[in-house]
Amino acid sequence: MLRFVLVSLLVTWKIGVVFAADSDEFFERKIRPVLVEHCYSCHSQEAQKSEGGLRVDSREALNRGGESGSAISPGAPEKSLLLAALKYESLEMPPKNRLPDDIVLDFEKWISEGAHDPREESIANAEPVESKIDFEKGRTFWSFQTPCRHELPGSSSLVDDCNPIDAWVRAELGKNSLDPAPRANQLVLLRRVTYDITGLPPTVEQIAGLGSLDSSLEYAKLVDELLAAPRFGEHWARMWLDIMRYGEDQAHIVGSDTSLCFPNSYLYRDWVIQAFNSNMPYDEFVRLQLAADIVTPDNPDDDVALGFIGLGPKYYRRNAPEVMADEWEDRIDVLSRGLLGLTVACARCHDHKYDPVGTEDYYALAGVFASTEMYNRPLKADAELKDNGQTKNEKDALHIVRDIESQNLAIMIRGDVNRRGPTVPRGFLTVLDQSPLSTEPHSLHRAEFQQGSGRMELANQIVSPNNPLTARVFVNRVWARLIGRPLVSTPSNFGSLGDLPSHPELLDDLAVRFVQNGWSLKWLCREIVTSATYQQSSINLQAAELDPENRWLARMNRKRLQVEQWRDGVLVAIGKLDSQIGGPSIDPSDPEVRRRTIYSEASRLKLNSMLALFDYPDPNTHAERRAQTITATQKLFAMNSPFMVQSSRNLASTLSAKKLTIRQTIDQLFLRLFARYPSPDEDKVALEFLDFGGENLEQLAHALMMSNEMMFLD
Amino acid sequence: MFLEKLSRRKVLERMGAGFGMIPMLSLMQQQSAQANSGGLHFAPRAKRVLFLFMNGGPSHVDTFDPKPKLAEVEGQQPEGMKTKGTGFMPSPFRFSPHGESGVVMSELFPMLSQHADEMCVIRSMHTDTPNHEPGLILMHSGTQQPTRPCFGSWVSYGLGTENENLPAFVALCPGMPVVGPQLWSSGFLPASHQALSVNTSSMDLNSLVAHLDHPALSRDQQRNQLNLVQQFNRIHAQARDTDDRLEANIRTLELAYNMQAEATEAFDVSREPAYVHEAYGKSNFAQSCLLARRLLERGVRFVQVYFVDKGKQPWDTHQDNDGGHRRLCADSDRATAALLMELKQRGMLEDTLVIWGGEFGRTPYSQNDKENKKPGRDHHATGFSMFLAGGGVRGGTMYGETDELGMHAVENRVHVHDLHATLLHLLGIDHTRLTYRYSGRDYRLTDIHGEVVTGILA
Repeated sequence: MLRFVLVSLLVTWKIGVVFAADSDEFFERKIRPVLVEHCYSCHSQEAQKSEGGLRVDSREALNRGGESGSAISPGAPEKSLLLAALKYESLEMPPKNRLPDDIVLDFEKWISEGAHDPREESIANAEPVESKIDFEKGRTFWSFQTPCRHELPGSSSLVDDCNPIDAWVRAELGKNSLDPAPRANQLVLLRRVTYDITGLPPTVEQIAGLGSLDSSLEYAKLVDELLAAPRFGEHWARMWLDIMRYGEDQAHIVGSDTSLCFPNSYLYRDWVIQAFNSNMPYDEFVRLQLAADIVTPDNPDDDVALGFIGLGPKYYRRNAPEVMADEWEDRIDVLSRGLLGLTVACARCHDHKYDPVGTEDYYALAGVFASTEMYNRPLKADAELKDNGQTKNEKDALHIVRDIESQNLAIMIRGDVNRRGPTVPRGFLTVLDQSPLSTEPHSLHRAEFQQGSGRMELANQIVSPNNPLTARVFVNRVWARLIGRPLVSTPSNFGSLGDLPSHPELLDDLAVRFVQNGWSLKWLCREIVTSATYQQSSINLQAAELDPENRWLARMNRKRLQVEQWRDGVLVAIGKLDSQIGGPSIDPSDPEVRRRTIYSEASRLKLNSMLALFDYPDPNTHAERRAQTITATQKLFAMNSPFMVQSSRNLASTLSAKKLTIRQTIDQLFLRLFARYPSPDEDKVALEFLDFGGENLEQLAHALMMSNEMMFLD
Repeated sequence: MFLEKLSRRKVLERMGAGFGMIPMLSLMQQQSAQANSGGLHFAPRAKRVLFLFMNGGPSHVDTFDPKPKLAEVEGQQPEGMKTKGTGFMPSPFRFSPHGESGVVMSELFPMLSQHADEMCVIRSMHTDTPNHEPGLILMHSGTQQPTRPCFGSWVSYGLGTENENLPAFVALCPGMPVVGPQLWSSGFLPASHQALSVNTSSMDLNSLVAHLDHPALSRDQQRNQLNLVQQFNRIHAQARDTDDRLEANIRTLELAYNMQAEATEAFDVSREPAYVHEAYGKSNFAQSCLLARRLLERGVRFVQVYFVDKGKQPWDTHQDNDGGHRRLCADSDRATAALLMELKQRGMLEDTLVIWGGEFGRTPYSQNDKENKKPGRDHHATGFSMFLAGGGVRGGTMYGETDELGMHAVENRVHVHDLHATLLHLLGIDHTRLTYRYSGRDYRLTDIHGEVVTGILA
């Protein structure tokens, strides 16, 4: 009660104007904006200028004044030099034009009421604009050193007929007193390599037609067939779509306004599939995605690749300066973590605390995206257009980007769009800059981009064979997907807070040879899966005990299938996979839809619940890697969802129609689901269950489909 | 502290079991032996959280923040602003103090006012944006863009669940709120920390939770089938070296089976007696509150209830603010009061943290609807009210102030980040130490901001 009375008293006591001139509000609304807009450019720490010795960007500095003396005398406007200057009575400030009378009156009022200034000194002083990064020293870090081939370890006879991968892995095994596991049996290997390269399990026909994989020749032939199948691109495209945060709409959709969505984004997804299937060199792949319109201006069909940026998130209230700054951060984050394995986005507010990436570097890159706009280019000549050449309806468009008038950005101090520092020319990260045109006495510099937004120059810097990160980062991602564990366990952070490679020479060796072999993903896959390391059994009791994390690879990692492989595996097993390549997106949880999971709609607003359940990444941001959770709701899906129930029914009825014996039926189930025959124990368990009667085949099929073997790859 | 435990955390995740995930902080207890605080950073005052979200932004000057001065300046335009209406608009509702403590609220809360001594009204909230989408995301995740984990996910990550057979974090909403599932997204945290989202448009059990029942098999038949699965799983595991993940999958399948029964019971509000239904009311929000109580009782850590209507944001009263608030508050008043009463009766209020509020407040000045002449109020971010109750909150309190017209929070200002820091504090967590390493740095719910508001702690 007492408190209530007090509060009421306060309410009635505080009367008068809406903003008293001695209030924070008055300063923030009337005084600070004027100082920022009209004075900071010559009188602030941010601008690194204090003309006449005066700075007005802190309370203390303003009170202290400059060479002419104190700038303000609180309570005495007539004695305040600042006011006299604004009135053009002594000095004339700002020099260009006298400010309007009402602003001058605000200052007079403010000073006469005591010049209340709520600014805290610490903020202005805590922000040295000058970067203290030592780029020379930074460049000595392992990942900024250009990779080179190292002399292979071990005896020369071993080296001669050995995949270099195995030479490096064996060397580490030797150091750690580990023996590699024997080669996996051939059905295990068949299932492994088929799933790993195509994302699908082997079919019963493939198993039946399999010769002996014992000879490396036969195995290599199988690998080549798998690499040549169009299924390859469908599987590997998903790796890329995780990296570039592929999405078809926006996290914010206001009402029914879908104008910021990407109904034709699937054209980009299909381009990625096609690029991998045609073995497009990775450097070209990246170059087209950043700058196809500039690299191949005569081939507008390539421009679909620009979806890499063009399908980025468009945030609510875009075009507001702070929102655009957020969008540029998304572009920089995808580019830097996705392609370079560097975390650059934190430099938006301050120099990177651990890596040699400065705020200037950030704004040099952001300028490229500030000079680029999202562009809904008409797909057909008769599409209705707006004045700016973009389609009126997003459904008629290819969602790409184009250059607009180039602009260099002023640093935003602490990321604040209203507090600007020096302007930075567009360019690449200083520590990685490869351009030869140094005008500086030392070799480290940031060359200015000259051509339009600078996207092509940016792309060329990224895919330069001398760029120490690009090939390493990509090779590491591919290795992780095939081997089940990356060499650098932080795939999007090769900086000093990232982990060191477990096999640094191996990583370098693969990166160098990847570039030498035409940046070819298929070459890289072949090189890895034909290694003895890859072909090992996943069981090695000695290694499981000595190296439980399997850092040294004395056995193959047991991999959990991704949701795409798992669902596609079900569809192959029931014989219902629809092999159509490309086209508009699907709902993967619909049991009537049998296209591959890569074709699922990727919604930023409401991710399909089946995908969300099984660790599919959030399409709003770059995904470093997929989480691997094991949850009860996943199991409920496996037990009760229409997709699983319907699929087991389909499988049971397909097998029933074949008029097989019970034993043959059980064999078929194991072959289709696990690419192997049942063991005697399994045979017995299955037979007993089937003995119970009619509907049990469906239940047995379902049981096998939700068992562990269905989601793990030995 | 979390940083040091990350590698251990990864191992645990492989051992698995999302819902049954061993809580992060109780592990730390084993290691740091802070017996008195249960392994947390502080002695926790609350074990579970209930966030009642008034989507659209309730008007503070019509609910918890009386501004008699508005009557004096009625019709005047706020200084230096161009508004879409006819200037300042006093509230037509009568305010009075309630309970021993004299917490003030308007006549729109006749039932809630009986719990005044449990409530802590914060009158000095402020946020960064007067737009729904970024405002909602900020209130949920501490940032304006949809890139980070929400509050509930952070709590799930930090504290785990108290009931392995139910999810740690549940979002109850009839349809979708504005923005949608991003509001309960786990962002870069593992997907098991996202909320189980439940559409409460219908309280029919089968439509509430997906895949809770097999369409054909009875429970016994399904048990029989799962026995078969587990036989295959065991044969599979025995032929291989030890792999925690295989064991975790075997265990989680059992959890899921148990969850069917447990969730079927927990989510079924029809099991509540008629007088309880009567106390809450029949609206979507009321039924969601009742369901929330059932879930909290059964060990769910964090329940988020959205006051949403057909995908709209009902509290967004741009037109007919007074009529809208009469209707909305009546619904919210009854259900919230019933919820507080029931939590109190069960002895749960003392360790359940209840939060009531929206993404921002509404303008003290009008926004006219030209057609029917019933004025509304616009979005307002620089000063608004929320209230807390239960778990460690100083009940019977009014904290902070806006200026005399309700325009700006001026005294004891509480930013959204400060609110988040305080809520985590009540759960026993230091907001600067609940971190997750992502994209090369340690992220927190409060980013680089947030001060615990000690003035509202009991």
